[in-house]
Amino acid sequence: MEDIATIAFYLGVVAYSVAATLFFLELARREGGAVRAQWAPRLLALGGALHAVHVVTASLLSKVCPIDSLHFALSFTALIAVGAYLLLRERFRLYALGAFVAPIALTFLIGAQFVGQSSDAVAGVSRTLLMFHIAANVLGVGLFLIAGAAGAVYLVQERRLRTKKHVANLGTRLPPLDSLDRTTHRLLLAGFPLLTFGVVTGAVFTHQLTAGSGADSLRTFLGYATWILLAAVLVLRETIGFRGRKTAYGTIAGVVCMLLVMLLYAVRSNAGASL
Amino acid sequence: MIVVVGLSHRTAPIAVREKLVLEPDTLPDFLRELVQSPEVGEALLVSTCNRVELVAAGRAGFDSDLEQVAKACVAALAARAPDIAPHLYAHRGGAAVRHLFRVAASLDSMVLGEPQILGQVKEAYEIARRAGTVGAVLHRTLPRAIRAAKRVRTETAIGSGQVSVPSVAVDLTRQIFGDLSGHVAVLVGSGEMAEAVARLLKVAGASIIVVGRTLSRAEELAQTVGGSARPWTDLKQSLCEADVVVTSTSAPHYVIDYEMVNLARRARRGKNQFFIDLAVPRDVEPRIEELDGEFLYNIDDLSKVVSETLSTRTREAASAEAIIGREAEGYDRWADAEQATPTIVLLRARLSAALEEELNRSLRGKLKHLGADDRAALAKMLESAVNRLLHQPTIRLRQAALERASDSLSLEQLSSAISELFFFEAESDAPSNPENMPPEADSPSGPAPELPSQARVVASRR
Repeated sequence: MEDIATIAFYLGVVAYSVAATLFFLELARREGGAVRAQWAPRLLALGGALHAVHVVTASLLSKVCPIDSLHFALSFTALIAVGAYLLLRERFRLYALGAFVAPIALTFLIGAQFVGQSSDAVAGVSRTLLMFHIAANVLGVGLFLIAGAAGAVYLVQERRLRTKKHVANLGTRLPPLDSLDRTTHRLLLAGFPLLTFGVVTGAVFTHQLTAGSGADSLRTFLGYATWILLAAVLVLRETIGFRGRKTAYGTIAGVVCMLLVMLLYAVRSNAGASL
Repeated sequence: MIVVVGLSHRTAPIAVREKLVLEPDTLPDFLRELVQSPEVGEALLVSTCNRVELVAAGRAGFDSDLEQVAKACVAALAARAPDIAPHLYAHRGGAAVRHLFRVAASLDSMVLGEPQILGQVKEAYEIARRAGTVGAVLHRTLPRAIRAAKRVRTETAIGSGQVSVPSVAVDLTRQIFGDLSGHVAVLVGSGEMAEAVARLLKVAGASIIVVGRTLSRAEELAQTVGGSARPWTDLKQSLCEADVVVTSTSAPHYVIDYEMVNLARRARRGKNQFFIDLAVPRDVEPRIEELDGEFLYNIDDLSKVVSETLSTRTREAASAEAIIGREAEGYDRWADAEQATPTIVLLRARLSAALEEELNRSLRGKLKHLGADDRAALAKMLESAVNRLLHQPTIRLRQAALERASDSLSLEQLSSAISELFFFEAESDAPSNPENMPPEADSPSGPAPELPSQARVVASRR
């Protein structure tokens, strides 16, 4: 079992790496060039499958539920992002977004190896509620990662069209602006209820845990900031037509806050505290 | 080898080119008539608005007198329109092959890298094939030309981007909106280029609204492009509905200003809007670009994209020429190897005939008790024997055809020796049909595969 987990991990790293390289080559290639990207999504899917095998076998090996440890939760988040991208890729023509998703998946897969391995439930906190809290956050973060990547590509594409530079060279390899905007919005809509649940349950835990450190307070603050930023993006879109570049900036800001929360979790987990 | 005879935009102005128009209905008869001549054995005609070219091979295949074939082609074309004779060019042999490859790859086109020519070459090949005027030489040459052209298109950026202002405008629209189905394009004013853009947008799935100062003219234009017309007073309302606005009026001032666009933007709740300003002086106030979600390209911006694309294509032409050079060299090598074919065919016929004669004699005598299965097995065994015997000579003859080294025997010397040894002079009427071709050189003992005669020759080289 250990061998399977290790082999799946290394093969997953290779598949993600090659997929990321092919996605970038596709972005960088001249139109009509010889490099073709049909292998990139296949390798990303293969990487995702190996990643899943790694998560399942490794968690069985260490007898830890995949979402009960930061190590696996981070890894699982990347898996959700890969799955969401592969599902939405054809529908919204998000071909170029793979150049962002594959490196994110690779980073999370490898990065999770350096985070504390497992955790025990915090005393005084409902274990079931904690599981739901983590599951909602993991799913939400996976969707928001794609939304953030779509927002970043939107800004690149929008700037290119606005400055009128390289519009002939890059051709139609980047997704259309409207597709990117729609993707960002729909992923935010899908992830927001999960995030809200995560924030609410997080607030319950904060209330139950009396002796919080400065890092815990900062993490709580950033969690609320993420929720407020993404809520603002969604509400302003519905009320005053806040979309396009502003949506992209708002989403990226929210995702950055969210990543900082995860970073603080990782730091705390490595320092030996529980999840 | 082949000849290419014709005229193109490089040698003849349109006034001359339009005299040599061959209707598609009459083309098969023209080609059949041409291959009836004593010199021409195969022919096809590539006819586009920028060129009319006859690609032909002689009746004697690779040993034809290309000068005579070219003369026959010139005569055939000049008979259609005598005035064109001074504008005709003729390429022969390797030069003709390179020219055909360059034409198919659109390196000789008026618009470098345009994609239509490859389809036109394929169509010309198909018409000639159906007319029965394509033989062994053209059957080997045209696929190679098409392959070379495909390589050029896939391995270089020769066909990248758009090279006309209307196409660039629609390409940019797609980069903003993606699929244009369900999107609304408003055409303000008239003008040829604006009309062309509107047509392309319509084909891409957009709904067209034409707004004009004179409603009757707007209606007329709307009918032409397949849209609906609105009076000038509806311009502001139309802007609220428009995803794409194409302007081309002759007004001396801006007809769409910052305030109008800002109001429309609010009504559209910030949705992206693309303005294509084709007018000089400009119709749309440039300040609208400061607004989020508003994109504006004027005629200069679009022309810059066109010239950027053309520069890219020109840079890529060098790589494309290199590919064509390599493909043409490959063709030359194949054509050189083809020179060994007659000798190989005769040698095989001679050996097969001798063995068959001996076999038949035995089957009538000592082996007459053999059944049908045994007889078939014997025949197969002898065929395998011929294949084995001819394996090395076939390879050696083809090598001799390809090599030009002075320290080895030439193809002529080897052929002469074989003729001398096997008395070919006395039996020069030996059949030169596919049955007498050797099998693939790499499988000396296997049965000869079911390939056309010329295909077998090439297969043996691979």
